[in-house]
Amino acid sequence: MTMTEPVVSAPFFLRGELVQDQSVTHRSRDLGVTFATPPIDLDRAVHPRADVPPLLNVALAEIIDFLVETGERIRDPKNAVVQECIERMAATHVLPRAVLAAQVEGAAAYLDKRLLWTVVEQNFPDPRALDEWVPKQDFTGRKSFVRAFAPRLVHVLPGNSPGVAVKSIAQGALVKAVNLFKMSSSDPFTTVAILRTMADIDPDHAIVRSMSAVYWRGGDDAVERVLYRPQYFDKIVAWGGGDAIDNVVKYLGPGFQLVSFDPKTSISMVGREAFTTGETLDIAADRAADDVMVLNQEACVASRFIYVEADHENADRFCERLHARIVAKAAASGDTRPFDLDLREQIDMLRMLDDEFRIWGKTDGKGLVIRSDEPVDFHPINKTANVVRVDALDDAVQFVDVATQTVGFYPAERMPDYRDRLASGGAQRIVRLGEAGPSTIGNPHDAMYPLHRFVHWMAHEDGVAPQ
Amino acid sequence: MPRFGLLTGGPPGPAAGRCDRVRQVGLHQNSLLPGTGTFNHYDDDKLMKRISCYFSSSISMGRPVNSATAQLTRLVDAEDRFRHSPAELRETQVAALNERFHERKDRIKLLGHRAREAGITEVRDRADMVPLLFPHTAYKSYPESFLTERRWDRLGKWLGTISPYPISPIETSDIADIDDWIARLQAEGHYVSCSSGTTGKSAMLLASSQDMDWSRKDTVNVFSWGSGVRPTRDRRMLGLAPIAAVPKNMIIAQAQLAAFGDPAKERFRLPIPPITVGSLTKMVVLRKKIAEGTARPEELADFERTSAERQETLDKAMIAGAEELIRYRGEKLYISGLWNALYQVARIVRDMGYSAKDFHPDNCIYVGGGLKRAQLPPDYQDFVHQTFNIPANRDFQNYSMQELNSGMPKCQGGDRYHVPPWIVPFILDEAGETLLPQETGEIEGRAAFFDLSLDGRWGGVITGDKISLDFSPCACGGAGASVRNNIVRYADLAGDDKIGCAGTVDAYVRGLS
Repeated sequence: MTMTEPVVSAPFFLRGELVQDQSVTHRSRDLGVTFATPPIDLDRAVHPRADVPPLLNVALAEIIDFLVETGERIRDPKNAVVQECIERMAATHVLPRAVLAAQVEGAAAYLDKRLLWTVVEQNFPDPRALDEWVPKQDFTGRKSFVRAFAPRLVHVLPGNSPGVAVKSIAQGALVKAVNLFKMSSSDPFTTVAILRTMADIDPDHAIVRSMSAVYWRGGDDAVERVLYRPQYFDKIVAWGGGDAIDNVVKYLGPGFQLVSFDPKTSISMVGREAFTTGETLDIAADRAADDVMVLNQEACVASRFIYVEADHENADRFCERLHARIVAKAAASGDTRPFDLDLREQIDMLRMLDDEFRIWGKTDGKGLVIRSDEPVDFHPINKTANVVRVDALDDAVQFVDVATQTVGFYPAERMPDYRDRLASGGAQRIVRLGEAGPSTIGNPHDAMYPLHRFVHWMAHEDGVAPQ
Repeated sequence: MPRFGLLTGGPPGPAAGRCDRVRQVGLHQNSLLPGTGTFNHYDDDKLMKRISCYFSSSISMGRPVNSATAQLTRLVDAEDRFRHSPAELRETQVAALNERFHERKDRIKLLGHRAREAGITEVRDRADMVPLLFPHTAYKSYPESFLTERRWDRLGKWLGTISPYPISPIETSDIADIDDWIARLQAEGHYVSCSSGTTGKSAMLLASSQDMDWSRKDTVNVFSWGSGVRPTRDRRMLGLAPIAAVPKNMIIAQAQLAAFGDPAKERFRLPIPPITVGSLTKMVVLRKKIAEGTARPEELADFERTSAERQETLDKAMIAGAEELIRYRGEKLYISGLWNALYQVARIVRDMGYSAKDFHPDNCIYVGGGLKRAQLPPDYQDFVHQTFNIPANRDFQNYSMQELNSGMPKCQGGDRYHVPPWIVPFILDEAGETLLPQETGEIEGRAAFFDLSLDGRWGGVITGDKISLDFSPCACGGAGASVRNNIVRYADLAGDDKIGCAGTVDAYVRGLS
């Protein structure tokens, strides 16, 4: 982008109102595109503690209905705000336009009535606690009321997936929170576009008034020292890498807690059964490629290391097929980003050490597979799979650690043998190979039930019942 | 375009007079390192002997004395070397780049691969060189397991892919540690320096004896030009830097001492154990074990204890340094160090009640490296200068890096670092892929350099630095390219805004920094 091209505008949304102004310019992290925002009015970003959260006494059923309608509006091709948002995002995001559009559409599918009810029911043993003070009595006769009280949340959104914006808005609404969304520089648009879509439905709705979305540069002390205080927020819901979390951690203390969606790596394990016939080999390679290519490998559920129980010859047969399928998927998505210099250097070097490593494909962003006897010591990204040959899958368990999120497994029959050891190593999810993307609705994420963590559990003690 | 007029005459090339100079340095070699406390058992002397024996048989650059490269590198001793304008140098520099490319393309495996991938058979202008520059990360692209599992043969093979000289297999079965491995390579004429990354991988920078020779000459010239101090061997030398004991650092220290140190006065060095490549990579190995979950709690506790002990030793050494400075405050001093250590020592000297008025008015200072993320007050430089009475014209600053062979000294008049004729500067886009066009004026971007003086590895490197390069003449009178004094690392700029849920175990590792 040259200096003469127009600057992309990124408006803010503050407690129900759109704020349009272009007086502050920023650069996006990945592509270095300039975008312009209003200055942050810090007073308007915070909901005073003296006022109860606007959604507190809105029935959950009504909230869900509103979210469902929002989903329909997002999917509507006539929604100019969402279409314009996708155009703008295509300028700042590493992923191609078509992938982003599919992401936004896919994310809107989360705004489904049965789905949202299931999420609530899986997170709360008694979802009534969201709507009312639920009476309790213990065996000594002591009485009380408990409520999943509406929290004040500041969300630090990730830059890799626009879908997280939809999910975060929905979850914030389900727990009736007052929400401030800190957008990322690679996508300072989606959150505001969704909130604008909500405001088009009903500008005065309590959901709309509960939402704010702004951008500041992550780590900007001038903003974070002011906002990250228990006087203003109960929890910080952070998605992010080490630096992002480190920034946040220094502000934690009594009354200001962290709910962290940690950075994660996902892997696959392919058993010797894959080599039984040519057909099983094709199936395994195909499914492994599905898992590698989730969100073109930008997502945390996307597989990066594939442990294959085979000799070198079979491992190479698997690699060849896997590579062909990754290349086909990459070509279909139109995504051919160049590798960053560092990664290219590391892979080219492995190519020079060719008696120990074998490489299929080039570092041109069209799909690449590396075969080795140990996992490579860099983070495979941009359609790169590292196939690690092992004599037995038992040998692969040592490579599972606290950063391992999803393990895609083949064949399914052997999964129960491995799940305890995988969990013990730190993994959080085991799925059938090829199914890293979908998940059971309402299941734990990052080893927790997030909505249960979001709310401010409030007890009203009401003495002892008369004997 | 005027052709760079150096085909005849000019100062003698770097090879001339080498033996005399080496002998001179060699003569004082054994008196250079007395009194280094309890740690003088470290084999500085052994290393120096090995290095000096290569001077006599130093590899010739193997090119005609009037080659473009020779024309530029022989300026190393020229008083007016920073006065040649970029326009004046351009043609010769491009010819020299092409020479280097042809000399090396079949000898450095990685370069050959790069050239084939980019389809480059000739360097006709600077842009042709861009795909052939190695990112600084190339020097740490070895699989970490080669190091952690002590697979010296594999590490040697890796090194061979970036070396222009064949690295013949060495017997590895009895190699105890990486320091041992490096010593064996050194005995074969391959000098490995190592960057001081403590938490990440260390870069392994290969150099030849000719490069050692060059550093020895260049460092004295650079310091002398930038500080105005003549090499008249009349100063007491005080080294206050805990720096890595790698060949390049040691050569530089030795050369500075030989040029500026009074032979009758003992050099002071911090009484701390040498920081070897082995001690640096030990941290890397432990970190990997922690990340993999194989480090035992007792190992970690032991590491914490050792770190605390090291810190205590270092704190004591700083006090010893301050006492030494005070003891010799009346003499003309040459103080060297890194900003962090210099600031700490200055603080102690002040606390002991001494300041500028107590020190000699013609002291000088050599500061290496940047802040390395140390947190110092904004006026730290003034504080150090004022403590030791360093006059403004003795304030030496040098822009260089382990990846290069030569330095770029800061001038006294324009607050700029000057690029010598044998370093070809490039400003690339942030990604390091495209050359930003520059004929005149100042331009900002990712710094890359081709150091034509490098012999033992490829001279082209893409750095991690964001710089402003100026092709206009400097206020100091130098007409050559110069770098503005506002250098930052891209890593420090981008670090805090990277948020994505795809991550590695690095985010969960704590305690080693």
